Amino acid sequence: MKRRTFIKKSTLGGAALSIPFILPSGRLFAATGNRMADHVVFIAFAGGVRQQESVLQQYLDGSQDYPSSGNIMYNLLDGAAPTDKLVYGENNSNNENVPIPKLLSQTLQQQGTLFKEVNASTVGHYSGVNTLLTGNYMYSQGLRVKPLRPTIFEYLRRHQGEKATKTWFVGNGIGNSIPLLDYSEHESYGSQYGANFLAPTITFGDDGEKHLKNAKIYHPDDELDPMYKMKYFLDNVWYSQGNALPDIGNTIEEKAEIKQFVKDMFVKKENGTVAHPPYAASGDGQTIGYACEVMKRFKPTLTVVYLSNVDSCHANFTSYLKSLHGADHAVGHLWDYIQNQIPEMANNTSIIVSPEHGRNLEPNNIKDANAFWGYDHSDANSRRIFNLIAGPGIDSNSIIGSESNGVGDIVNITPTIAEILGFKDDVINSGLVYNNNSLFDLI
Amino acid sequence: MKKLLIISLCFPLLFSSCKKDDVYELNEVNATSYNANKNKLKSTNQYISIVHANLFQQALSANELVEIDRCIQSIGDKQVAHEIILSNFMNKGGVIIPSDSLMRDDLDLFIEETYKRFFVRDITEAEREFFLSFFESHPNVSAEMVYMAFSLSNEYQYY
Repeated sequence: MKRRTFIKKSTLGGAALSIPFILPSGRLFAATGNRMADHVVFIAFAGGVRQQESVLQQYLDGSQDYPSSGNIMYNLLDGAAPTDKLVYGENNSNNENVPIPKLLSQTLQQQGTLFKEVNASTVGHYSGVNTLLTGNYMYSQGLRVKPLRPTIFEYLRRHQGEKATKTWFVGNGIGNSIPLLDYSEHESYGSQYGANFLAPTITFGDDGEKHLKNAKIYHPDDELDPMYKMKYFLDNVWYSQGNALPDIGNTIEEKAEIKQFVKDMFVKKENGTVAHPPYAASGDGQTIGYACEVMKRFKPTLTVVYLSNVDSCHANFTSYLKSLHGADHAVGHLWDYIQNQIPEMANNTSIIVSPEHGRNLEPNNIKDANAFWGYDHSDANSRRIFNLIAGPGIDSNSIIGSESNGVGDIVNITPTIAEILGFKDDVINSGLVYNNNSLFDLI
Repeated sequence: MKKLLIISLCFPLLFSSCKKDDVYELNEVNATSYNANKNKLKSTNQYISIVHANLFQQALSANELVEIDRCIQSIGDKQVAHEIILSNFMNKGGVIIPSDSLMRDDLDLFIEETYKRFFVRDITEAEREFFLSFFESHPNVSAEMVYMAFSLSNEYQYY
């Protein structure tokens, strides 16, 4: 390249990078920080997890007074698996319980940093995930109400100007008011900065097969265009009456992409080619499979995946162990899929894993078929969780805190995501988060 | 003399008081207000029940209503969710829509009835003007496309 051409191009390129631009909100945008990675996947794991069966690796020893301990989450955590009374795997054709083979050659703990003892002051599913996504303890907020403080999706879209299809919230089901967490009611943020929510076990499950699968795909120019023009006119007339509906701001092109994605997933499901983990019998496994498909298609800047199967612990401890083991396998698959099947995200994605809360120290009075006690989530032990982070720029093979020295709080997750994606200052300056510290600030 | 003067002055008044006034009679017209007093947002269940009854002229079963409600909740962008559900309806047999030739035979009547069918109100002259001109410039617009646009419109979300 000639010197003059180089100078011209580099000057224009530099100017393009540094000149602030106007966001759709009308706000002047200029990047506030450097990104550690261009993508974040946050796993809200996986419906209330006890420290005893996760990082403490006590297996049945810590819950059922049976002397068998070991690690049943060997894709996330270091540690040898239990060897006695194995009930946490999948049943084979001989009805023997066989643990799922380890999927990652290096655990996420080895690849990143484990916060071994973290505080979670809310012990409900909705309030827990709400806290994870808003960085606030919403003590006074009930179910069936959208978050009162902005979600991380809204911070990202408002302050970084991301498109709607660059933020996804994939949930295992629609219970516990989970779909309401795609955006808040906050007056400065709200629906126009929301995430695309998807509960794939329903969208592509029996209900979806019946009511979504055979949807007509209208021709974009000949049919959809005039249809949208008429709708636009009708909506404008209605808007002039002072009425408008919440809208997360997908453009016509993005809406078309989502509809095509839905259509394609039904085809993939029929062909058995959805990117499910090798063992995906559970809802969590299915959800992770579709989350992989979402990432492959849209390459989101932020993907939040909510897993919930371990909540069976209330009444079925055996199912809880299986779900915990299955969720570990599913998350291992998701990380492997990103690194090997999505080149645009490989080596450019950070992962964060955090339960929304723990579970009780003492059992309830419900026994399952193996005579194992169940555990609810209401006592002080329910406030104990772990956090795991890995990705570019994050220390590997590092452990922060211990059982007797807790470091970190569930409200640190929102600033952590913001720091990775380079807009932590915007989040802090909003004055709307409980704590300004990210997990990095605690190392 | 004075008496004669008073009589002569009153004489014209006598005739003018007997003049017959014109009486205008109006036919009563029942017109719904501009927005038909719609100010409440339909719930998902209400919206789906009503649009199904409108399109198929029959009620949706309770089970199907629950299933469709779950499908809509499973997709965050409600407009996308509604569009998929409605286009799924359109792919089923039994949707009662005027034929395109019937629509084109009397566009004025078609759009007037469409406003009443979906919005439960009369069309305004500005709306009539828009649609007649739109149909003229888009000869391939079908009745199904018009019904989709009305079913997906924000006004139809209210009652």
